Amino acid sequence: MGDVRNGIATRAGAMILAPVGWLAKVFDAPLRMLQRRTGSNGMAVFFLAPNMLVFGIFVLFPLVINILYSMTGGGALFLGERTFVGADQYGRLFSCGSYLDPKSCTEDLFWIAVWNTLAFVVLQVAMMVAVALVTALVLNRELRARSFWRAVFFFPVLLSPVVVGLIWRWILQRQGLLNLMVFEAGGTPVNWLVERNWAFTAAIMVSVWAHVGFYALILLAGLQAIPKDLYEAAEMDGTRPMRVFWRITLPLLAPNLLVVLVLTLIRAVQIFDEIYVLTGGGPGTSTLFLTQYIYEVGFASMLRNPGLASAASILMGAVLVVLTLIQLGIARRNEQRGKMR
Amino acid sequence: MSQITLTGVSRAFGKVGVLHDINLDILDGELIVFVGPSGCGKSTLLRLIAGLDRPTGGVIAIDGKDVTTVPAADRGLAMVFQSYALYPHMSVRQNLAFGLENARMARAEIDARIAEAARMLEIAPYLDRRPGQLSGGQRQRVAIGRAIVRNPTAFLLDEPLSNLDAELRISTRAELAALHERLSATMVYVTHDQIEAMTLADRIVVLRAGRIEQIGTPLELYNHPANLFVAGFIGAPRMNFLPVKVAPGGAGQSSLTLDGSAGFEIDGNVSAANGDVTLGLRPHHISLADAGKGDVAARVALVEALGSETIVHTRTSGGQTMLAVVAGQCQVASGDTVDLKFDTSHLHLFDDTGLRIAVS
Repeated sequence: MGDVRNGIATRAGAMILAPVGWLAKVFDAPLRMLQRRTGSNGMAVFFLAPNMLVFGIFVLFPLVINILYSMTGGGALFLGERTFVGADQYGRLFSCGSYLDPKSCTEDLFWIAVWNTLAFVVLQVAMMVAVALVTALVLNRELRARSFWRAVFFFPVLLSPVVVGLIWRWILQRQGLLNLMVFEAGGTPVNWLVERNWAFTAAIMVSVWAHVGFYALILLAGLQAIPKDLYEAAEMDGTRPMRVFWRITLPLLAPNLLVVLVLTLIRAVQIFDEIYVLTGGGPGTSTLFLTQYIYEVGFASMLRNPGLASAASILMGAVLVVLTLIQLGIARRNEQRGKMR
Repeated sequence: MSQITLTGVSRAFGKVGVLHDINLDILDGELIVFVGPSGCGKSTLLRLIAGLDRPTGGVIAIDGKDVTTVPAADRGLAMVFQSYALYPHMSVRQNLAFGLENARMARAEIDARIAEAARMLEIAPYLDRRPGQLSGGQRQRVAIGRAIVRNPTAFLLDEPLSNLDAELRISTRAELAALHERLSATMVYVTHDQIEAMTLADRIVVLRAGRIEQIGTPLELYNHPANLFVAGFIGAPRMNFLPVKVAPGGAGQSSLTLDGSAGFEIDGNVSAANGDVTLGLRPHHISLADAGKGDVAARVALVEALGSETIVHTRTSGGQTMLAVVAGQCQVASGDTVDLKFDTSHLHLFDDTGLRIAVS
């Protein structure tokens, strides 16, 4: 039976691969000729060219355009119709009586968004790392139906941010599921998305719920990479469970925790879609974050200002570049440490 | 130091039995070696003694006290792991101190114990290095040091030499033997390497499929293996086994006939139900004889010249493979026909169930 199946599989494989082999034969001669003319370096360029072209059109070109936009003013869309203003847009963003008081700034919404984003980043990152760590620790235990629980925690990661926002809006709205439960339990319903502090808290909770599975997975991989022997040695040494956690688990998980910390930071700075769907930045400006500010100034507001939006996005990009460099540095250091062990 | 007693110990994982009715007394100050092929249950047995795993049946006692359900930390034992299990983020000094700090020992006492262990194991220069900065041999010493500083009632060593290269393994083996002598400690040592077992053990426990096949001193096991498995497992190269027919011979003698009609007589009476027995003879007890003066003729299949001795692989006319270890260097080559002479004073006989037959 196995032979028969193997025979069928082999034939099916051969049929699928036949056109590939045929194409290889067709292109073999011209590729060889190209290699003779251009050498192996030329061939490398030839094979990289499609990807470089895509990267150039969709990443590099928009980046350059964005920088140019940030140096122009007016509401015109095409670059040629815009007036060059130098660093005026940056000057406008930084024109403040006190950076701590957005109302004293020319672009008060920008600074509201900056401070909201900063508060969101600090609270969300702390909560995300803590919840991801606890989740990973629990999922690493000998649980009944462990694979099922792992899937349950990872499932929200697979959802579209818009779906996440809609689900939670349905749960948190005035006549939503949560208030129904509160009411059934004898409590007083709360306007979760209308009261400033609750809306901000909801934004943090929802983003943690949506992404914690991914970070828990990174930490779970780190936990599983810690040799069981170390725990057994600690057990022989009479180590109390909390001391095992602080002295063995946490230090050995530190590289993964750092990766999670930096990735969470980067994503928290970029937060937009699920919160935009959930609260629309409200109530008022209490959940207005930087990306939403850029989007609204650039595309959505009546008095749109693409130059100002570009300048804000360049500033945000600079922050992300710094965070990414930190992440790369950490990754390199982890690699070197891994070699040392 | 302490005595460890196992009574009717068994361990099963679900329906799969890994250890069955293990009864064993490990004497005070003894170095006992558990040896056996992979999957025989030797490491599981060690973990049961350590307290890292619980038996599904039986009793484990240390110095007469039942410790079957006592946590690992409270048994007073120390373990050296196959992987060394050193904490990679701590220095050697921190590794050694970790268990003592758990016991809330005074700093001065911890320092004194570390200094003593470092002196004994010659690891003082590495105390401030991390395990990743040490060689395999140095890590091994640190792992032993971590056990020593705890001043345990017994040491448990789980294949501690298996990660070392051949040369380092030999020297570390000698150091371990010296350490045992110096500490006079009870040591339980697990290995799959019968040479390690032979060279280190006061007594060897041979395990197969979760059962004890034989317990004895290395030479007892070598000279009087209880069954075919022990006979084949202990000794290198492996013992030769040949099917033979046994029949009463002359006065007080028995006649053994090999497949292919060659035969010889041995002193003593052998009782076997249908006359079919297995003859076991170590390669060192077979020599090359002059033409026509051997017990069996064989064709040379392979010659391994080791300088001090030569291992000759042969095949008899009955198709049996036989190895002979000849002292020094001998001039035979593949394809030659040689006469093999058996040293009948060292032969072993086993019945059809594989058990040793006494020659009366």
